[in-house]
Amino acid sequence: MQIGKISLHTNKTAERAAEKNIEKTNNLTTNPFGVSFKGNVIQADVFESAKKSISNTGIAQKTKLYASAVVSGINNFNEAFKSRMNSVVSFGRKITKNVFDSIERIGNTEISFDMDAIKNTLFPNRQYSVKQLTNKSVDELKQMWQELTPAIA
Amino acid sequence: MDNNKKIRNIIQALGEHKDSQAAIDLLTEIGTNSPDDEIRELTAQTLIRKNTHESLRVVLISKGKGINDLSARVAMASINELLSLKDKSEAIKILEDTIKLHSEEDVRNTARSVRALMTFS
Repeated sequence: MQIGKISLHTNKTAERAAEKNIEKTNNLTTNPFGVSFKGNVIQADVFESAKKSISNTGIAQKTKLYASAVVSGINNFNEAFKSRMNSVVSFGRKITKNVFDSIERIGNTEISFDMDAIKNTLFPNRQYSVKQLTNKSVDELKQMWQELTPAIA
Repeated sequence: MDNNKKIRNIIQALGEHKDSQAAIDLLTEIGTNSPDDEIRELTAQTLIRKNTHESLRVVLISKGKGINDLSARVAMASINELLSLKDKSEAIKILEDTIKLHSEEDVRNTARSVRALMTFS
């Protein structure tokens, strides 16, 4: 007797589970046609569900539609925000990389100043000091002398 | 700094230059042929101060240069420089050779006068 009750109870439980599965499946099949509302793809199940309900009236349906659009809009905003943030982050990384590259390049660049040339530019007569002239070759002195000679003649 | 001052510095640098022979050649080529008395005078003095056979030959033997210069100023400055040399042996030797061997009488006479001055100085 008890065995029969248990089997009856088991049958009822299986039936309820099957009903729940159907309901779940119906809820998951959202917007199979890619219909959009105000530019946003509607994700919620705004279509007439297989299971008729009392609350599925016109007002409720409209509210659901708006809510879905709002949610979809938030999702789109998030995606746009994420993509913009990604571009900002990549830009920042690029700048950082460039700065580090520049610093590295500066570190590797050998900067040298020809102090004699700078001094000669600042003080043009300096190159005609006896000390400077003595360090020059005779050919250089000859050239310098010849450049000065026509001015005398 | 004017050009004359620059040239004077070049001549002075040539007088102290380590490449002595090239410096003498340059002084002989440009300095002793300069139209400017001051440059010729300074060149002659520099050559005499070097006190080498090559440098002294230019100012003692060559006609129109050093002690034989047409400018009295240049000639007198050269003679004064010769008289102020500490070691006059090389100069006297060249002057004696000039007195004996030079073809030009004017050059021989000048050499004789200068040698006499150097002997009694």
